Amino acid sequence: MQEDPNRKYKLNKKRFFFSVLILTIVIPIILLFGIKLFNDRRYNLISIIIAFLSCIPFFIRFESKRPKAREIMVIVVMASISVTSRIIFAPIPGFKPVTALTAITGIAFGPEAGFLTGAISALVSNMFFGQGPWTPFQMIAWGLLGFIAGVLSKFNLMKNKAFLILYSIFAGIFYSLIMDIWHVLSIDGLFTLEKYKIAIVAAIPFTIIYAVSNIFFLILLNKPIGEKLDRIKIKYGLIE
Amino acid sequence: MRAFDSYHPIVIFTYFCSTILFSMFFMHPIFLSISLASSILYLGFLKGFHNMKRTILISIPLFLIIAISNPIFSHRGVTPLFYINYNPITLESVIYGLSMAGMIVTVIFWFSCYNEVMTSDKFISLFGKISPSIALIISMTINTVPRMKRQIELITNSQKTLGMYVHSGSIIKRAKSSIRILSILITWALENAIDTADSMNARGYGLRGRTSHSLFKFKRNDFFLFSFIILLSALCVYGEMANYISFSYYPYISKINLSYFSFILYFSYLLLMTLPLVIEFKETIRWRLSISKI
Repeated sequence: MQEDPNRKYKLNKKRFFFSVLILTIVIPIILLFGIKLFNDRRYNLISIIIAFLSCIPFFIRFESKRPKAREIMVIVVMASISVTSRIIFAPIPGFKPVTALTAITGIAFGPEAGFLTGAISALVSNMFFGQGPWTPFQMIAWGLLGFIAGVLSKFNLMKNKAFLILYSIFAGIFYSLIMDIWHVLSIDGLFTLEKYKIAIVAAIPFTIIYAVSNIFFLILLNKPIGEKLDRIKIKYGLIE
Repeated sequence: MRAFDSYHPIVIFTYFCSTILFSMFFMHPIFLSISLASSILYLGFLKGFHNMKRTILISIPLFLIIAISNPIFSHRGVTPLFYINYNPITLESVIYGLSMAGMIVTVIFWFSCYNEVMTSDKFISLFGKISPSIALIISMTINTVPRMKRQIELITNSQKTLGMYVHSGSIIKRAKSSIRILSILITWALENAIDTADSMNARGYGLRGRTSHSLFKFKRNDFFLFSFIILLSALCVYGEMANYISFSYYPYISKINLSYFSFILYFSYLLLMTLPLVIEFKETIRWRLSISKI
């Protein structure tokens, strides 16, 4: 079927406009709203909304590409593998291959697929574990990690093992830092650097578990799964 | 079938959005207690009071952590109770910690109610209109996870016949067989996914003019309930904007407003929070009446 190129262009433009609108206008307005109207006392509510809103431009961009069925299916497979793995590893707190699988998807299929896999894994796995105010934070944290892995692989950096280890450690710290924001906010709704520092220190054991599990799974899985994804990419001509 | 569940997903989603947002937003003690009590009642209704014990027991440590850590970190307020290391523990921060802990627990209860009522099919049918591809990804992921678990079992069993055990043997051998299972699983999943995608294409996925089936219809009842929820929410927001229900914990705890209008607000908030229970109650009575007529 022949697509009307003009229509697609218009659609893209409209959606691009929406994501710019969210990033440059809606989020600052909500921040301002939080400061002025709520007397600067509702960081928890505001930050949940902002964490969720910041995922939306990525979704809009994906939607505006009008993804083909095969592109959709690849993300579905990777997201469901990471959800399944999160369920299997549920008894060991913190030791999860989700970040590694998200990063591998990002490496093989580009930053966008990485973001979607991470964000969808968080959303869907919480349908099994129970949704809560932490869902948007997990979505943006895992999503951004997949995105970063995708961007780094564009520069051919992720083939290097030493760099993979560096990325894994960074990912563990990054995830921990984002989740600590929520932990601080859940205590009294206020955010102070002092309390944030305490939360970070208190979460160090978890940060280490995250980093170690990331190193373990990325080193172990990157090559075999990456090869499989590359094979599928070549065999069926999937575009990044 | 519960009566509130049979409403359109948009109505249910709006309802939970407003209850969860308001529970986080209104720190007024009366509002907090109304929300906490109704969330417990509703969760009890949904899960059965017996099953609820666990949810409540789990939330107690969380409640305590938050309630205790607030006065330790925050020394605002004007009424010192006692001193720890020359830092005052104030009455205001103790009460604020209790309210904050109550708020977080309430939100978690509301989320468990949400998980019970807003099932994933409703969630997807709601977002399918706004973002069809993302909703499709979510729905197919939910569908694939149990299938994958089943497939893992199948692969594990067939690998056992080849001598690849996951649960016994040395760690290296176990890890080797686990990776082999994972590798087989991924190949299976990817090839299967391509098949699914081709089959979707063959049935015209993404072509223009295709409609999608929806189980849910927006009926007149839905419209009434929807407007009612919006009306009650607007009333509460107006009350907050017009300072009828403003309440501050610091520097000292303010008095509770007991004017006529604030009572109307408390009542409407109570009605909003217990709306599903009211609906269930109404339906039960109607059912009883129609039975007794026969």
